[in-house]
Amino acid sequence: MSERTQNRTHVDDVDRSLYDFTYSEEGYERYDDGLTPDIVRAISQKKDEPEWMLNMRLAALDTYHAKEMAPNWGPSIAGLDMDHISTYVSPRTKQAKNWDDVPDDIKNTFERLGIPEAERESLAGVGAQYDSEIVYHNMREEVAKSGVIYTTIEDALHDPQWEPVVHEYFGTLIPPADHKFAALHYAVWSGGSFVYVPEGVTVEYPLQSYFRLNAEGAGQFEHTLIIVEKGADLHFIEGCSAPKYYEANLHAGAVELFVKDGARLRYSTIENWSKNMYNLNTKRARVGADAKMEWVSGSFGSHVSYLYPTTILAGDRGNCEFTGITFAGATQDLDTGCKVILNGANTTASVDTKSISKDGGCNTFRSSVVVGRRAANARCSVSCQSLMLDDISRSDTIPAMDVRNATASVGHEATIGRISDDTVLYLMSRGCSEAEARTMVVGGFANPVSKELPLEYAVEMNNLIKLEMEGAIG
Amino acid sequence: MSNQLLRVSGISAGTEDKPILHNVSLKVGSGETHVLMGPNGAGKSTLGHVIMGDPAYQVTDGTIVFDGTDITEQSADKRSLAGIFLSYQAPVEVPGVPLYSYLRTITQKRPELKMTARKFRNRVGEIADQLDMGSSFLTRELNVGFSGGEKKKIEMLQLLLLRPKLAILDETDSGLDVDALSVVSRGIEAYRKDCDGALLVITHNTRILERLTVDRTHVMVQGRLVAEGPGSLIDNIDAHGFEQFEHEAEDGGAA
Amino acid sequence: MAENSTATLSRVNTPPAQTWNYLRTNDITLQVPSVSRKGDVYFALPRLFEGIECGMGRQVTDWVESQAKDAHYVEVRAGEKREEPIVATMDTGVMVRAGAEATIVVCTGGNEDSESAAQSEALDASPQPATSAALVRIWAERDARVHVLEFVAADDDRQHLESVGIVAGDRARVDVRQFFLGARTTAAGLACSLDGANARFDLSCRYLGAGEERLDINHVVRMRGKNGRANVSESGVLDGHARKALRATIDLVHGSSGSEGTELENVLVLSDDVTNKTMPVILCDEDDVAGNHGATIGSVGPEQIGYLANRGLALEEIEALYVRALFDEAVLAAPTSAIRATVLARATTVLGEEVARDLVEGLGLDGTATEED
Repeated sequence: MSERTQNRTHVDDVDRSLYDFTYSEEGYERYDDGLTPDIVRAISQKKDEPEWMLNMRLAALDTYHAKEMAPNWGPSIAGLDMDHISTYVSPRTKQAKNWDDVPDDIKNTFERLGIPEAERESLAGVGAQYDSEIVYHNMREEVAKSGVIYTTIEDALHDPQWEPVVHEYFGTLIPPADHKFAALHYAVWSGGSFVYVPEGVTVEYPLQSYFRLNAEGAGQFEHTLIIVEKGADLHFIEGCSAPKYYEANLHAGAVELFVKDGARLRYSTIENWSKNMYNLNTKRARVGADAKMEWVSGSFGSHVSYLYPTTILAGDRGNCEFTGITFAGATQDLDTGCKVILNGANTTASVDTKSISKDGGCNTFRSSVVVGRRAANARCSVSCQSLMLDDISRSDTIPAMDVRNATASVGHEATIGRISDDTVLYLMSRGCSEAEARTMVVGGFANPVSKELPLEYAVEMNNLIKLEMEGAIG
Repeated sequence: MSNQLLRVSGISAGTEDKPILHNVSLKVGSGETHVLMGPNGAGKSTLGHVIMGDPAYQVTDGTIVFDGTDITEQSADKRSLAGIFLSYQAPVEVPGVPLYSYLRTITQKRPELKMTARKFRNRVGEIADQLDMGSSFLTRELNVGFSGGEKKKIEMLQLLLLRPKLAILDETDSGLDVDALSVVSRGIEAYRKDCDGALLVITHNTRILERLTVDRTHVMVQGRLVAEGPGSLIDNIDAHGFEQFEHEAEDGGAA
Repeated sequence: MAENSTATLSRVNTPPAQTWNYLRTNDITLQVPSVSRKGDVYFALPRLFEGIECGMGRQVTDWVESQAKDAHYVEVRAGEKREEPIVATMDTGVMVRAGAEATIVVCTGGNEDSESAAQSEALDASPQPATSAALVRIWAERDARVHVLEFVAADDDRQHLESVGIVAGDRARVDVRQFFLGARTTAAGLACSLDGANARFDLSCRYLGAGEERLDINHVVRMRGKNGRANVSESGVLDGHARKALRATIDLVHGSSGSEGTELENVLVLSDDVTNKTMPVILCDEDDVAGNHGATIGSVGPEQIGYLANRGLALEEIEALYVRALFDEAVLAAPTSAIRATVLARATTVLGEEVARDLVEGLGLDGTATEED
């Protein structure tokens, strides 16, 4: 049995034509490459920001220059030359509330990505960012009436009612000194969303922000700040994509989520950046007593990713569920996972992740679970499954657990393996081709994640998997 | 009747969200053998666990007196030291604790059984022989990776080692092959003979009873004791099943 | 002899793949004595042994070699079944030739003068606590059978470093049993490389951390040959203010097709002041393999408490049972009377004299096994 030679499915490079289209950025406002205080001032000035924000940006820039990346872990970012990344590229258009007011090339982009259609069918509100600025923002009237705020941070900063709120929360959960690219983010951030859900309000349909990076050799640094007040309920969806270029692109966004006592927030992401993207994104949630944070995360794109959504269960009886899948193909080195910090008593968390590696792609699942001294009876379970589709790919699992409470209970299980020959043979004996059989098995493997997604995203994810898996038998 | 060992009076009990036992009363005299029968889900195992003091069940009414002492509020370890033994239907696996360390610890806890380690080792050897167990099992972790039959033998081993006044055997015969069953029967016999202890056998299989002289038979249906009779009641059940009692349970509910 | 000083072994005992540094899980930094042996001729092991990866890393290997008086080389001839255990000293290399079988023992603690505690030729520079170390490198040729037994059973005035490296050839079988039962700081690393095809590695690590003790363990299994099997299991009890970090890595290297590696840790935490860090890593470069990890960390489960309470044990007694169980196993595994004495000395400190005596008698190891009843 062990001597049997293995026929492997040869898989062509991915057909990314769905995402791989570009429009000229002629006439756009593009700031010089590199990072100087002048660029930071120019961004701030253009946004007509309060002074505290400019000061924060300048301090963050110093921090960015002072900080080093850890030398002993993580994928290489040697291909990322900050002197050749433009930190600010703005389409020459005002933010629109109606797709008809969005310039044609940009509108076509989002049409092709299916955003306006999704908005009509199943969303409570949509924000669309093109390069550095939000180009479209709209929310259903009845949702607005319930007091929900869904706007850009820039607009919130110009609103005397919301400026103090942004000031109170912005940069407190992810401090600029968190790591080198968090500092970079705070120096040059632009675009993103501000969401406020008042106490007790349930938003029936999801809100969605879509981030599209069209410009070559540019960075996207959007900031998302969401506050879900006591007993409120929100589902927020984030989508990202970009066309492929040969020059490196950088995404260093920040997502700060405040989930107050008794509230619930579900944050879903389908990320399909192009394979020249360095995705160094930071996401963090602070969860109150009896509150619930749910993450659903699908990572398909980018050249290099560092992505570990963090949940701090600060209040008693808080709960976190993390469901994620990462698919690494040729030339991709994706270091993804999550962090959970259980500080409240009787808090619970469960982490369920899957990864698939093929065509020489490299997947690292990295996690940390920290149970504090105060977290009596905390419960946490982590399950991590990795699928290897060939012998030139790589899959590493690097979880860490730090437990400091005797009544807490933490479990971890991880498995790495491949599609079993028996399963493929079984399916083939029932008439499937080998490629179909393998696609079916991978689809089944990913199913726990796709079933957590809204239907149209589940369909998108399954299509992505099909695209990745289809190919001739060699 | 010989002097009373266990008196369960008007016990009602259940889990947090579900009452299971209703007004159950039962007496067992020293050295007697009782059988508790009933269909699946009748609450037989629950009664065994409630007598043992399993905190998974809450007693809402009634008292349990053992050997002259009201133990209704006592924790399970106190009841165990007082002389009650419950043999598990599915013995719990305890990783990290070899059987030897465990047996030695539970024996030394009992002043009446305290003995030198050497005597103890010999005693365990004797019992193991009696039960057809090899000696290598002593260094293995308690119940971890043992087959169903082996686990039951380990329960019998503890029974013979601890010499309780009352042994409650919860479906000890379930899932055993013929050989294992005969070993277990031998264990029960040895317990009756050597320890002169009382037995409450919970079962729905009469085979294990063939080699025992049964003093009383109790029938439980839907959490109620609906019939009690001499050992010969078993033959009746063998022939006619439990249906005959089921309407009584319903009547009991109305009463 | 030249003057003594201290040296810092910075960030040693590291796993092949590391993670966030702020978690402080990647490594340990140790202050160790440094005796200058300038002018002494060091009788080193055959050069071949330099290539063996040891669990605590190069820095520790270099330090031990600079501190040991000389290296101790043992060869077990092809096909020989050596009964008498090989007792490791501070720097030991063992070559187990094709088809041979040998047992290698490393023991620290207890009586300084007992011959078994050989490597505790207490390094005479004396920062507190006193430091001892053992470096053991083992080459297991094809079809060899190697049993390694490690005991660290010192008192709280001791810091101990133990670094083991093993290479296994075709069909070689290596089993290791580690008992870390005490020392102020125990830093132990073990690396095993299954180079040959169909090689097998089994590791059982049992540990106890109490009081102010610190345990830092690094296990690395490199699966290189085809159809290798590795089974690693760690389990231990932590009480008091004990701090423990365990890093366990299974590395399924490209070419190891048909291999399976499993690692499982069970930690029993008995006190809220304990710090338990666990980092179970699987690295995988090959598709026709299976890698599994599991870890459970917590107090005694409610089912176990229920079962044991039904047999008469209160909670404190249940916890004590887990500790006693560790010593029962260690005493039984001790291959020589001197090592047994070392383990028992530690058992006496931890469990008291009565229980310690009970361990020996009960296991029939006091030489009076059969007579009088």
